[in-house]
Amino acid sequence: MVASLLHPLTIFILGLGGGFVLPLVYRLGKTWLKATFFLALSGMALVSALGLVRLLLGGDAIDILTAGSLPPVSISLRFGLWEGFFTASVNCVALLGALRLWPRLSGRYAAMLLYLIFVMGINGMVMTRDLFNLFVFLEIVSIGTYGLLSLEETPAALAAAFKYIMATVLASTFFLLATGLLYYATGTLNIDGLLAQREAIGGPIGAMALLLLLGALLVELKPFPANGWGLDVYETATDGVAALVSVGVSAGVFFALFKLEPLFAGQRNLIAWSCGLTFVAANLIGLRQRLVQRLLGYSSIGQMALMVLALVLLRRQEADGVESGGADVAFALVIGGLFLNHLLAKAGLFWLAGAIGAREWTSWPSLAGRPLLLLAFAILLVAIAGLPPFPGFWGKWELVNALAGSGDYGWIVLILFGSLCEAVYLFRWFGACLQAPRPAAVPAFFSGELPVLVAALLLVIAGLAAAGLAGISSFWLFLPLAAGAALAVIDPILPGQVKCALMLALVLAGGLFLSQGLDGMRGLFAALLLSGGLVIASAGFYRTDARPFHHALLAVLLLALPALLRAETGLDFFVTFEIITLASYFLIARSPAAAPHLLPFLLFSLAAAFFLLTGFAAHRAASGTDALTALGSAGADGALTFVLLASGFLIKAGALGVHVWLPGAYAEAEDDVSALLSAVISKVPIIGLLTGAYLAIRSQNAFGLAHGMGWIGLLTVIGGAAMALREDDVKRMLAYSSMSQLGYIVIAIALMSHIGWVTALYLVANHLMVKGILFLAVAGVTLRAGSRQFADLGGLMRSMPFTFVAVLIAVIAMSGLPPLMGFGGKWLLVQGMADQEWYALAVLSLVATGLGFLYMIRLVHGLFLKPQPPNRAELSSAGSLREAPIALLLPQYALAAAILLLSFYPSLVMEPIAAAIDPAFSAGLVWRGMSLQEIYGYWNPRPLMIVIVAAVMSAIALLAMLYWFRRKDARFLRSTGGKESDALSRFFAFYEPMLGVLVRPMASRFWNNVARGVEALGCLRRVYDGDGQTYALYVLYYFLALYFLGSAIPI
Amino acid sequence: MGFPPVSHLVLATGCSLVLIGFYGMLTHRNILRIIIGFSLIDTGIHMILVATGYITGGTAPIIDEALSLDAAATRSVDPIPSALVVTAIVIGLSVTAIMLAYAIRLYETKQTLSLDAFTESKW
Repeated sequence: MVASLLHPLTIFILGLGGGFVLPLVYRLGKTWLKATFFLALSGMALVSALGLVRLLLGGDAIDILTAGSLPPVSISLRFGLWEGFFTASVNCVALLGALRLWPRLSGRYAAMLLYLIFVMGINGMVMTRDLFNLFVFLEIVSIGTYGLLSLEETPAALAAAFKYIMATVLASTFFLLATGLLYYATGTLNIDGLLAQREAIGGPIGAMALLLLLGALLVELKPFPANGWGLDVYETATDGVAALVSVGVSAGVFFALFKLEPLFAGQRNLIAWSCGLTFVAANLIGLRQRLVQRLLGYSSIGQMALMVLALVLLRRQEADGVESGGADVAFALVIGGLFLNHLLAKAGLFWLAGAIGAREWTSWPSLAGRPLLLLAFAILLVAIAGLPPFPGFWGKWELVNALAGSGDYGWIVLILFGSLCEAVYLFRWFGACLQAPRPAAVPAFFSGELPVLVAALLLVIAGLAAAGLAGISSFWLFLPLAAGAALAVIDPILPGQVKCALMLALVLAGGLFLSQGLDGMRGLFAALLLSGGLVIASAGFYRTDARPFHHALLAVLLLALPALLRAETGLDFFVTFEIITLASYFLIARSPAAAPHLLPFLLFSLAAAFFLLTGFAAHRAASGTDALTALGSAGADGALTFVLLASGFLIKAGALGVHVWLPGAYAEAEDDVSALLSAVISKVPIIGLLTGAYLAIRSQNAFGLAHGMGWIGLLTVIGGAAMALREDDVKRMLAYSSMSQLGYIVIAIALMSHIGWVTALYLVANHLMVKGILFLAVAGVTLRAGSRQFADLGGLMRSMPFTFVAVLIAVIAMSGLPPLMGFGGKWLLVQGMADQEWYALAVLSLVATGLGFLYMIRLVHGLFLKPQPPNRAELSSAGSLREAPIALLLPQYALAAAILLLSFYPSLVMEPIAAAIDPAFSAGLVWRGMSLQEIYGYWNPRPLMIVIVAAVMSAIALLAMLYWFRRKDARFLRSTGGKESDALSRFFAFYEPMLGVLVRPMASRFWNNVARGVEALGCLRRVYDGDGQTYALYVLYYFLALYFLGSAIPI
Repeated sequence: MGFPPVSHLVLATGCSLVLIGFYGMLTHRNILRIIIGFSLIDTGIHMILVATGYITGGTAPIIDEALSLDAAATRSVDPIPSALVVTAIVIGLSVTAIMLAYAIRLYETKQTLSLDAFTESKW
């Protein structure tokens, strides 16, 4: 009895029966109506879900025969694993969608009836094995859609619905014709029968029938440019119905295509081109769109095209016999992952858009008062953008890997470019929401908030399930997210400082657990980044406010560091890398001032990530394994992988040219977050570069590539220093300084020698401590003096003596002056360059060091030594200008103590570093075959030190002399207006125009133009002129184009 | 060479109807005329499908004195296209009804049936 109730056929009984009963119970009362409707709907969801579970547990697929005879005489339905997966997913979303749509459905039995029939129709499209039956179900779904579209009665919505009807009626007419012709050509309507004799389907009629069938299915999925009718409906329909069209109808049609795809084996290239064009065009045009629902429409169209594209590309590989291990799992992950991801995330976003009610994303209200909804919004967006840990990410990962396996790099570029555009317009929307001044009205719980929250929750669960399937090496990779989730749960009830303490304890415990068993370079990095991160994060105690979600995000970020070092495969590494990016993004987003810089940060981070993704895929394609250790044994063909990985990491490290995201993101984050980002998180790409550096050594082009990277590093050093020197904002200066210092580390890695890598690690340690101190010191200064501008600051030595001492120690350590540890770093670096005979680089890096001196002098002078600006005098008289809080000073002094310790006992750090690098390296790379102890004995740093100091001093003296002779120059006096009160300020002002020439914002201008150019491509949207007849014409043209191209390309 | 089989006539008529329907749907701006265009296309397709099942000299697939059991396989017209068309007619009827309902609703909003009045959403 129970078994027969749970038979898949019950779905149709519930759909049709429910439809018949509704008008009857309507007479009995509203409660009965509601109960019947939800009973039928949840019954359908339950039957399909239980059926899926049964199949997952190893049950057999169910073949449903009708009319008491076997196919092809009768119509048959099938409920296998794929069918179960699609129907269960669609039915669950339909149930949630009914909740969302309830205010519109309530009391209208006709609408409920249409809803039930519509959902049943999708189930039928998925399960049927008969072509004509498929047509009938397609029409049932279409008629249900037409009816539901009339729930919105504005003229625009009615007009859009009519355009939708015109286009889809054309498509289904061709579907019908194709069905009849296929029957004429083959004598069967059974899909299995058709698939079995697909080789035999030929001749003018058979070929035309296939093309018409294909065209009908593709048009229903809204290909560019024949898709304006779909967009209008997405824009104007009630959000609940738009969601159904976007995810429900598309699911049914996609599954039909999925079933019939082998019939179109000859047209795979054609399908791929059409879908690729649609994916890119939809996402390009989306960049220009302001209406939220139409924006989601563009994204939907893009996602469906991506799914079909993935389907045909994978099937083509299968047909070509490209075999890779676990191809079935990969296929399931790509199709299932992309489908489920889009289903849940897009439906959730439509519902959220409707519940909030603002039509344009530019006028979207703030969700700050609704933290759960904001969290769900973030989850849905991250999922749609294809980022971990959501199912779409695993799908994209497998897809890119598969494409790299067959060398289809063109498709990879196309897919990633479209994804990048999509991420831009989605996250721009999120940024607008964060900035919005007006709080959102509270949506109703059951019909507004609940469906969105459940969709987000289901996405998380599905993501974790997909992670297991994708072969994540261990679930501890999700420990950072788990810790963040735990802190997020208790976030609303605890005060800020308690949360800070909890976060530190959690990170300490989790970090120790994660870094267990890490040795060598990884162990060293883990110890360094974790301890540095903890010390700097402890500065968070100086803030007494609640800081919603701040500590949870911080826990994710800090715990992701050891997790990253633990990564064993490219997948592990990439997932953690993305988690770090996302956690940083949301942390930066917490600061209102950072709003304009969020998008560049995310955009460049994603671009970097896409380089890495392709790089890891190329690695797996070349070496056949995803293990990171295999990077070390890559053959001569590792050059491509190396270039891809290095590009990604260099973007993330803020190399000159692609640095434009860096200053804003670092400077406008909250003060203690800036410290953490610049000191600790900026080392993440460095870890990556070191990991990938083996490749360059192994590949034949190693030396050239590495040399190129060295030059990029040097240009970054010089560019960063010049821009820092010119900056009037202290935090931005420090951000540019970070960029410059990271450039040194890049040079050190590029040396590809033992000494180079020792230096890199040494510089990493140095920069971590120095930048931690400086950013925390500036946090104190901003807190007390209320400004970050040099013009407003000065004379703080007296009121903030402890901060002054810490800054002085940090600056000396950074500048590379003796006796502190920066000196050792610079020294080693110059030695390494001389060793590689990179003399030009060595000389230029000395010049850059001089530039570095200048901005550091300006920093100390501008904050502490120059007289206090007169307009700030009231601050000190009011007594607010006093020493920074102890919570900020303690971490600074901890770091300063570490600098002093390591400066005077360098072997404390040098020996572990040398020991860490030795086993990782082949013996030939050890510097002149000596152990480090011998190297120390061999080196005599003093003469070179004297030369360096003398060179730098004479350069500064030259600059000073030039200034002395020309300081009375009238032009100069006019340009500064004589505002600068003291000699050193005048000195800097004198050189400013010259620096201006050096640091013309070429990179920003370049990237702005790129952005403008890409956005200009959005003029493609002119094809959507709003006229239903034009859209019908496009549909016809699409059929014609498909027919002519399809017949020209031999089957 | 005798008179072409009746199915050719049906086929030709069907194709002409489809083309006339397309022409009407794409050239007229009046919503009712567009709907008529769709109906013509639909009917034309139905005729084409029926024509594909025809067998020259065949008879209705009903086994009685006109059609013996042995001859059923060779002399009877294929019933399946006709069955499909019956279903398709029902579906076409409902779709036409819905389109007409929309025509009424659209007319109520703007007091016109011209497509020119209904191009709000674009780009």
